[in-house]
Amino acid sequence: MVSKAMSTRTEVAMASVDVALPASESIAAPTAERGLVEECRRGDPNAFSRLVALHEGLVYNLAARMLGDPEEAKDVSQDVFLQVYRMLPRFEGRSSLKTWIYRIVVNQCRNRQRWWRRRRRDKALPLEELTASESVQLAAPPAEGPEQKVARREESRRVQGALLKLSLDHRAVLLLREVEELSGAEIAEALGVAEGTVKSRLARARDALRQALVAREGNPS
Amino acid sequence: MKCRTVRSHLSSYRDGELPAETTREVSMHIGSCAECGRRLREYDSALGRLQALPRLACEESIAARIHTHLEVEMRGPGLTLLFRPAWSARPLFLPSLVPAVMVLLIVMGAVISLDREADRLPPVYVRNTGQQWYGRVPPSGTEGNPLFPSATVSLPRTRQGDPFWSQALAGMGQRSFFIEMVVGRDGRVSAVTLLDGDSFQAAPILDMLRHQRFEPSRVRGEPVAVSFYRLISGTEVRAPTT
Ligand SMILES: [Zn+2]
Repeated sequence: MVSKAMSTRTEVAMASVDVALPASESIAAPTAERGLVEECRRGDPNAFSRLVALHEGLVYNLAARMLGDPEEAKDVSQDVFLQVYRMLPRFEGRSSLKTWIYRIVVNQCRNRQRWWRRRRRDKALPLEELTASESVQLAAPPAEGPEQKVARREESRRVQGALLKLSLDHRAVLLLREVEELSGAEIAEALGVAEGTVKSRLARARDALRQALVAREGNPS
Repeated sequence: MKCRTVRSHLSSYRDGELPAETTREVSMHIGSCAECGRRLREYDSALGRLQALPRLACEESIAARIHTHLEVEMRGPGLTLLFRPAWSARPLFLPSLVPAVMVLLIVMGAVISLDREADRLPPVYVRNTGQQWYGRVPPSGTEGNPLFPSATVSLPRTRQGDPFWSQALAGMGQRSFFIEMVVGRDGRVSAVTLLDGDSFQAAPILDMLRHQRFEPSRVRGEPVAVSFYRLISGTEVRAPTT
């Protein structure tokens, strides 16, 4: 009874964090990053909000591209930051905060996919939804006409579709390299594998993407 | 160099990671082999298209989305004093929480019964969920729907020379309690909720808190009821006394 009460009690919405954050703020400098982590550890609720606000864009984008599903990406992003919060005391600062967060994203996506495979095997990934949210979020340049807009959306749908044909490991390494522009060492850190493994995996993943795009559109030549 | 070897090198070739000699051989081969040249162009095009994908953004703030979860996690040991920002001023209780509140009320009832003065002091736990339950929320800033500290709502201040803490701390030992308080518009404590800590051990301190008097917070000159948190620990007291 008591433990039930305790666990239910934890659901009561209580003290919270303040998410106000000037958009210009940045933690590019490692010292600023360390400071932020320290503030979070000391229990400064504003510091953690700042940490979330600074990283939520990259977390969401990576999760959305990895999973091809905006709703899943939202859930993953949430879980990522909750895990970051729980694990922050154990963050040693050997890798950068960003790399460490990427690692959590990849792991969360992996878990999510296992879950997905078990429960929702037959459900097609709602790519339409993904491109829809994309069009809402990313305002087209003003000069772009409706046709170009459609073409652009069609293009990202195609690339995302090709990406989703690859294994999750391949998607991760490709996105970290080509989109997030991490170095081989950083990717190794984020994926928890040796740098040599990153190189060979990247080579296979790039070729897999090439094949997926060629296969999708037929041989252009 | 054979086509197969060249193709196995494409990734490193593209990244400029091959030794100079190998790079030269791959370049020469690509210049003369149409198939491998086409392969490299496909490769470049595929990666270029991947890089050109627009960045996706979530239409709602993730920070806001997780804050409810965090609120829970933040109530662990080592917590200092947390404030709810004004934007989270919303009904706190959901129907699913009512059973939990009931359990708490029973637990806290034991504390109240220890206190002979209970009838004329604020109850230790008085959150009445009924108002939210039926969709009627009292005006904000009143005791039934207090505001939360923010940029515009300051914390209520304890009065100068408040003998409270020295008394409260005597006999605290190493214990710590996490408490939510509502200070009413008259500066009196209108609710004290023990959020974390042993309710029996907390009884004396909860009782003292009920007697504490504050300068109420004011918004545009009008006194308002404010809800805030405090962590009271035997070794150190972090309280909104400033
Ligand atoms: Zn060749």
